[in-house]
Amino acid sequence: MRRFTLIAVPYLWLLALFLVPFLIVLKISLSDYALSIPPYAPTLDFSAGWQGIKDLLSKLDFENYVFLTEDALYWKAYLSSLKIALISTVLTLLVGYPIAYGMARAAPEWRPTLLMLVILPFWTSFLIRVYAWMGILASEGVLYQFLSFLGIVDEPLKILSTNTAVYIGIVYTYLPFMILPIYAALEKMDDSLIEAAEDLGCSRMSAFWLITIPLSKSGIIAGCFLVFIPTIGEFVIPSLLGGSDTLMIGKVLWEEFFSNRDWPVASAVAIILLLILVIPIVLFQRNQQLQREAEG
Amino acid sequence: MNQKVFAPWDDPNQKPLIQFQNVTKKFGTFTAIDDLSLDIYEREFFALLGPSGCGKTTMMRMLAGFETPTSGTIRLSGQDLGQTAPNKRAVNMMFQSYALFPHLSVWENIAFGLKRESKDKDAIAARVEEMLRLTRLGKFAKRKPHQISGGQRQRVALARSLAKSPKLLLLDEPLGALDKKLREETQFELMDIQEKTGTTFVIVTHDQEEAMTVASRVAVMDEGRLVQVATPADIYEAPNSVYVADFIGDVNIIEGNATPDGDRVRIDWAEGQPAIWGTAQKPVASGERISFAIRPEKVTISKEKPEDRRNLLEGEVIDIAYLGNISTFHVKVGNGQIIKAQSANTRRLANRDITWEDRVWLTFTETAGVLLEG
Repeated sequence: MRRFTLIAVPYLWLLALFLVPFLIVLKISLSDYALSIPPYAPTLDFSAGWQGIKDLLSKLDFENYVFLTEDALYWKAYLSSLKIALISTVLTLLVGYPIAYGMARAAPEWRPTLLMLVILPFWTSFLIRVYAWMGILASEGVLYQFLSFLGIVDEPLKILSTNTAVYIGIVYTYLPFMILPIYAALEKMDDSLIEAAEDLGCSRMSAFWLITIPLSKSGIIAGCFLVFIPTIGEFVIPSLLGGSDTLMIGKVLWEEFFSNRDWPVASAVAIILLLILVIPIVLFQRNQQLQREAEG
Repeated sequence: MNQKVFAPWDDPNQKPLIQFQNVTKKFGTFTAIDDLSLDIYEREFFALLGPSGCGKTTMMRMLAGFETPTSGTIRLSGQDLGQTAPNKRAVNMMFQSYALFPHLSVWENIAFGLKRESKDKDAIAARVEEMLRLTRLGKFAKRKPHQISGGQRQRVALARSLAKSPKLLLLDEPLGALDKKLREETQFELMDIQEKTGTTFVIVTHDQEEAMTVASRVAVMDEGRLVQVATPADIYEAPNSVYVADFIGDVNIIEGNATPDGDRVRIDWAEGQPAIWGTAQKPVASGERISFAIRPEKVTISKEKPEDRRNLLEGEVIDIAYLGNISTFHVKVGNGQIIKAQSANTRRLANRDITWEDRVWLTFTETAGVLLEG
């Protein structure tokens, strides 16, 4: 009985905070737009009892999903989000791997400090940090002033309100999520493995490709998923740093909810986004599972 | 018997495979290797023996190319190794931690070095099979390192380092992680494999028994210097210093003043105690302070006073260490010094006639011990 209670806690948590909200969103996505509060119909009539639920279910349909396939904006936004997430993940990996590698090779007494420096930005609000980037990247912002002081540029920068700014923002924001798992994998690695590889005829470079990279694979995969998954639905960075041509599904979702007040369509967009995210999340879980088995 | 004794170090016509010439290695202000010269010959099984921090691992890492000497030269078959990178040396190393690649199977681990030489696939496969046979690992070829036992991992590490048929194989504490029983078995296996492949082995160990068992010659090191380089028998029977005598096996050291008398030396070691007699290996000055080293197994213990013995000490049994096959008696002689004497337990324990607090006589021949300076 006690064991049951113990297991019940996380399940109740998931039920209350994940499954119930999910079912509400799913229900709204199957409803119709209405000029009312809340702005959709039908709503559940509790006084009608069983008959009420039956009536409700009979009025639900997949109209909103059909609409999503008809308007090119939506699937373009999904594709564009995937593309931006993919490119950002690769960029974050390219920036994060050398940092993680440098940290893992640093003298042991320096490692806690370096780790601290990676985590330190989290102590400031995410929004403030993104706003700070607006100040840096603005056409006559901090970066422009610095570069023109060096004599590298002579006309205002065109970075803010472009996809480049979005990439910079995403790489900056999600870098720690890439560095930490890779660092964890590299730090565990025995230095004598590299020496053994060199002893057996590897150059420094081939030892890196044949030993270091495969042994940090689980960290690379974990880091990529940790960046890729939240980036797909990212909303703040594209709205603040991106321009009108930056198309991301998170932004579309926001506009449907708050500008158009079309909750049913917005919910349908959210449900599809969730389904798209399930695939990488399942793959991520599998990777973690395989890693645990390999270590066990 | 016309069998030739393997002793290339006594043959002036033999060219050494490895030559250390006045090699010094410093780490900052710490001198790890101090002006050391050493020749190692082909087909030798050479052991570097010493306590931790004596520089034996540094010697090995310089041979492998992971460290370069601060001064002096190291030659391999007459060629200066100098700055040659580890991957360009005909030297392979078996690491103390084995350093097996965890993401590769046993087969791929052994093939790793061969693939770097870009040999054709069939030749690699044939060589890996040969190594698997040699180390009796055939059944485990497809397993990953974490799926096999410690002893098997040790054999994979050996097979991997032998696969490229190096001129010289370095073994860093190769048996350190194995339990005693397995270690003893593996020692003989190592010797067997060394003989079969004809490779020169240099082994680093802190375990004197291991060095004595496997090696053709042993170098005893202390603080970056070679104290003695000799065959195991010479190291044991004729140590050149108190340090070596004390480091290898069990020993009684008796200090005293020497008086030469023909080829014998009289040692007055304690007031009121009969002098003891030893044999000088080299001339001893009269009145020189000297240490007489004698192994416990060369000291005979008895309850009756033996006749006609020049070296005769009387004492009391303080302690008995029963080791099954032998017993070590700790005997306190006149001036309070403890002398250890060993005897084989040829009879059952219940029949042993010497026990605690017995008055006993210790004797040894005049040639049983060695005289050491200081």
